[in-house]
Amino acid sequence: MGAESGASNGTAALAAHGLSKRFRKKVALDGVDLTIPVGSVTALVGPNGAGKTTLIRVCMAFERPNAGNVEVDGVDPWKHRGEALRRVGYVPQKPAVYGGLSVEDHLAMARSLHPGFDRDYARRRLEQLAIPLDQRADTLSGGQAAQLGLAVALGTRAKVLLLDEPLANLDPLARREFIQVLLDAVRSEGSTALLSSHIVTDVEDACDRLVILGGGKIRLDCPLEEAQRTHRLTDADSPPAGATAVGSFLGRGGQKIMTLWRLAPDGAPDGADGVAAAEAASLEDVVLGYLAAGRGNAGLQLN
Amino acid sequence: MLTRIWLTLKQHRFETIAVAALCLIAAAAALGEAYRLNSIQLPAGCVIGPRFMSFSGDPSVPSTACQLASDKFNAIAYGTDIGLLRYVLLGLLPFIVGILFGAPLVAKEIEQGTAPLSWALVGSRRRWLFGKMLAAVLLVVPLLLVAGLAADVLQGASSPGLDPHATFENFSSRGVMVVFWGLAALFGTVALGTLLGRTLPAVILALVVCFLARGFWDVGLNRTVLPPLAVMQSENPQDPQNFPNGQMMYGQYSWSSSDLNVYYRTYLDGKPWDGDQSAWWNEHQPVQTTVKLDPSGLPVGVAVDIGTTPQIQGPYTVPFVIHGDRYWPIVALESGILLAGSLLCGAVALVWVDRRRPY
Repeated sequence: MGAESGASNGTAALAAHGLSKRFRKKVALDGVDLTIPVGSVTALVGPNGAGKTTLIRVCMAFERPNAGNVEVDGVDPWKHRGEALRRVGYVPQKPAVYGGLSVEDHLAMARSLHPGFDRDYARRRLEQLAIPLDQRADTLSGGQAAQLGLAVALGTRAKVLLLDEPLANLDPLARREFIQVLLDAVRSEGSTALLSSHIVTDVEDACDRLVILGGGKIRLDCPLEEAQRTHRLTDADSPPAGATAVGSFLGRGGQKIMTLWRLAPDGAPDGADGVAAAEAASLEDVVLGYLAAGRGNAGLQLN
Repeated sequence: MLTRIWLTLKQHRFETIAVAALCLIAAAAALGEAYRLNSIQLPAGCVIGPRFMSFSGDPSVPSTACQLASDKFNAIAYGTDIGLLRYVLLGLLPFIVGILFGAPLVAKEIEQGTAPLSWALVGSRRRWLFGKMLAAVLLVVPLLLVAGLAADVLQGASSPGLDPHATFENFSSRGVMVVFWGLAALFGTVALGTLLGRTLPAVILALVVCFLARGFWDVGLNRTVLPPLAVMQSENPQDPQNFPNGQMMYGQYSWSSSDLNVYYRTYLDGKPWDGDQSAWWNEHQPVQTTVKLDPSGLPVGVAVDIGTTPQIQGPYTVPFVIHGDRYWPIVALESGILLAGSLLCGAVALVWVDRRRPY
């Protein structure tokens, strides 16, 4: 199944064109075309090994694409790395902090490395979270370390924020705090964020756009609201009128095989055949349906 | 830049403390041993040239007081303590320091996952690494210089009457040479750490490379850049052991601890000769009488019939040396080579850090 594209026509904060990346025989990205509009908070969702991290690393010029290119705020990071990195704030997968340095040292280091780094802004963010600036980074909790990473990224006052599964190691409370700080910053600064995660519920409340990546391909790319409005879930083989099957997967409790249906672009009226009978798909259902489609629903059967 | 230097040292706190401690301990130990030697106050009359005489039976044996002082001096100067200090601590110091600080400089960032944090902030990774290398140099150079100068003081104390800057004795492990060896080890290890991205493999490989480099250094230079600078030992007009007429015989050439032996050449009749010395002597040696055995079967000696013929002047091997008065030009030459190698390794690291992945 090809990618369902629904990118808006606004100026792109991030755009990928035919982007491919291979690691020897393993294809991490396979002709990815993607447009992230300015001002959006986009969830980049997919299972482990889907290519989420690789996509972000290509945007950071950590990886060189085998084909195609990517533009961050109109700049190709592989051709103009310095120029591109000035426009990007990055939070890596693991909370990467310098164990021997204090929180304040991290801000000082960021200032010395990035001329535009707003130390006071980052400091205020950390103070709001009651993270002591003189505390050594290796004594911070996982959530505090993640907040430090986010503060460093936000301090760059970058137009585009790339966050590579920053929530993966955080407890629910820390996750919520992290998301809140991110949203506050994005809304107040008008920046764009791409937040990768393999946990759908993490990003459900935070993002306004959904990109599903599976097997190195874009499976779905549309606003979050559209993703839910245009998909239905049934446990029957009879589709809602005008809908096409996306993929089948085990429903909650493992009792039923559920099928995700994509409604016609204009959306069938609720009174149409079968549509009323079909369940509204949650975001998790949408993601599961597209990931199942990517796997070809192989081996999916009930005993 | 000052902030970055300070933070680099803070980030590598363990290495900074270890390197500083090692250098200061080595310097203190060298100065301590030098003080012990100086405190003996070996009388000037006991010192003959670059060496002092202390063995009995020599016609120049000085007074008993001189003998006692010499013995005491020798016990320290040629004792195990100074041997360990000179050949182990001071000899290995630049390599330990260079490897200890150089290996983790980039590799640790990659291993611990902090490289993406820094590399995402900095526009130029080369400038990032340059800042880190500058911090390392600013730490390592003064510390190694202190240790090297202390080793110079020790050299002066253990060879009374001899200017340490006019002798090649132990010259690779003292003075500014310590600094340049340290820089070579540092930059070489930084390059390995950048290439490998792992600290321990970089340390192991650096140890092997440094061992080989140091082992082949003298041999390599003696075969390449130093021969044109070497002079025949016998041409040293100040050497008291030279033959008055400038001629030398087999097995008799002067030796001075100040000289740097570069290579040897065999002469016959005043001309370079490449023949087989054993064969020549077998052919020209006066006939030896048969070895007589006493009743117990043990040899009682060899009687050589030299007859009335004049002593034979056969092939003789002469060392070609660089005299101690050329200490500084040679130090400058070797330091320059080490510095060039250091810069090359630094350039490799700077080029590679721009290409490599931060993980």
